[in-house]
Amino acid sequence: MEEIKLYIESGVLELYVMGDLNEDDRRDVEFMAAKHPEVKRELEQIQNALEGYAEVYSVTPPEGMRDRVINKLLHTNSEESAVETEPAVSNEANVVAIPSTTNSFYKYAFAASVALLILSVSALFVLYNQLENSKQQLVVLQQNNQTITSRANYINKQLAESQEALSIFHNPEVKLVKLAGQKIAPEASVTVAFNQKKEEVMIDMSAVKMPENDDAHQYQLWALVDGKPVDLGVFDAEPNASGMKRMKAIGNAQAFAVTLEPRGGSVNPTMEQMIVMGAI
Amino acid sequence: MSKRKTALSETDLIHALSDKSRIGAEALYDMYSSSLYGIIYRIVQHDEIAEDLLQETFVKIWNSFSSFDPEKGRLFTWMVNIARNLSIDKVRSKDFRNNSKNQDIENTVNFIDEQRSTAINPEIMGVKDLVDQLKPDQKSILDLVYFRGYTHVEAADELGIPLGTVKTRLRTAIITLRTFFN
Repeated sequence: MEEIKLYIESGVLELYVMGDLNEDDRRDVEFMAAKHPEVKRELEQIQNALEGYAEVYSVTPPEGMRDRVINKLLHTNSEESAVETEPAVSNEANVVAIPSTTNSFYKYAFAASVALLILSVSALFVLYNQLENSKQQLVVLQQNNQTITSRANYINKQLAESQEALSIFHNPEVKLVKLAGQKIAPEASVTVAFNQKKEEVMIDMSAVKMPENDDAHQYQLWALVDGKPVDLGVFDAEPNASGMKRMKAIGNAQAFAVTLEPRGGSVNPTMEQMIVMGAI
Repeated sequence: MSKRKTALSETDLIHALSDKSRIGAEALYDMYSSSLYGIIYRIVQHDEIAEDLLQETFVKIWNSFSSFDPEKGRLFTWMVNIARNLSIDKVRSKDFRNNSKNQDIENTVNFIDEQRSTAINPEIMGVKDLVDQLKPDQKSILDLVYFRGYTHVEAADELGIPLGTVKTRLRTAIITLRTFFN
C-alpha cells in the first residue's frame, strides 16, 4: 500500500498523462494501472485536471477553418504519412503545386546556367588560342618589317650616294682627276673630283684602288700648289667603301697626290711613301 | 456560429473516426477545435502558424487514429498531447525561432488572456477564475512543462530551483487543479 502511494507521488503519472514518458516507463504505468485501481483512479483524476486546464484556455478558431480542415481530412490519403507534416506551410491544398513548378524552374535555370558557363569557358579558350596565334604572327611580321626597313634604309643610302656621285660626275664644273700608281704600287689608282669654282675636293670612294692600310697608318691627300704640298685630309682604303668623301677645300692646284702617313696625317708628305699622283 | 454543429458521444465519435466518415470529421472539429486551438495558440502565439498547426493536428488525429487505444487513456488527452507535441516541435524549430521575436512566456500568456478573454468559453469562466487562483509559482511551472514542453530538468534550470522542487511543485499544481475539475 505504502509502495503504491510512493509510486503515485513520484510524478510519473503526470508525465504519463502529458505523453512525456518513453516506451518502457509507459508500459510500466499501464501495467500498474491495470493491477492497482488506486493508480487507475489517480490517472483519471490527473487526466481530468489537465483536460480541464486545457479547456480553460479554449479559443474559437477563425470562421474559415472549419471547411478547410474538414475538406482536408476527407481528402487526405491516410497512407501518406508525409502529408502530416507538409500542410503547415501551405494555406490551401492547391498551393502545393507552386513549389514544384518553382523547383523545376530553378532546375532549368541551373541547367541553363551550367550550359552557359561551359559554352563561355570553351569560347574563351578558343579566343585565347587565337589571340596567342595572332601574337606570334605579329612578332614574325615585326621582325620581317625590321629586316625590310633596314634593307630599304641601306638601299636608300646607297641610292643617295650614287645619285650624289652621279650629279658630281655630270656637273660640267667638276674635273675628274685620275691619280695613277707610282713605283711602290703601280696597280693603285684614285679618282678625285675637283670643282675649282666651288673649291670642292672629293674622293670617289667606290673607285679607290689602294692596298689596305693598317690601323697605324692612313692615306693622306695632298694638293701641289706652285710646287708646295698642301694637306687636304686623310682617308682609309676600305674594300666595300662607297660614295664621295669630301676633303678639305682648295681653289687652286696643279696636281694631287696620296702618300701613306702615320694615322692622323703628317705636316709634310713622306715622299718615299707616295702611292698615286695625277696632274690636273 | 450560423452553422449547425455536430456533436456525438465519445463512443460514437470513436466509431465515426475509425470509419473516416464525414460526420466523424465534422464532430471531431466541432467538439474539439476550440480547446485544441486554444492550446496551440497559447504555445505558438501566432495566428497563421496556429491555424496551420490546428489543421496539422486534425490531420494527424485523423490519419493515426488507429493507434489510439481507449484502454490506455481518454480521447481528449490523446488529442491534446498531439496538439501540444506538434506545437512544441514547431516552437523549437529553427525557422520558428528565426521568424518570431521571443517574448517572455508569462507576458505573452497574460497578454493573450486579456486579448482573447471574449473568446473564452463562458461556461467555464468561473473555472478560469479558480485557475487564476493557482499560486504564481505553481502556474509558471505548469505552463513551462505543459505548454512549452520543458523537461523537469529544463524547468529546474529555467526557474533556478532544484529538480525535487520542480516535481513537488508540479504535482501540487495538478492536485490543486484536480480540486477544481473533479
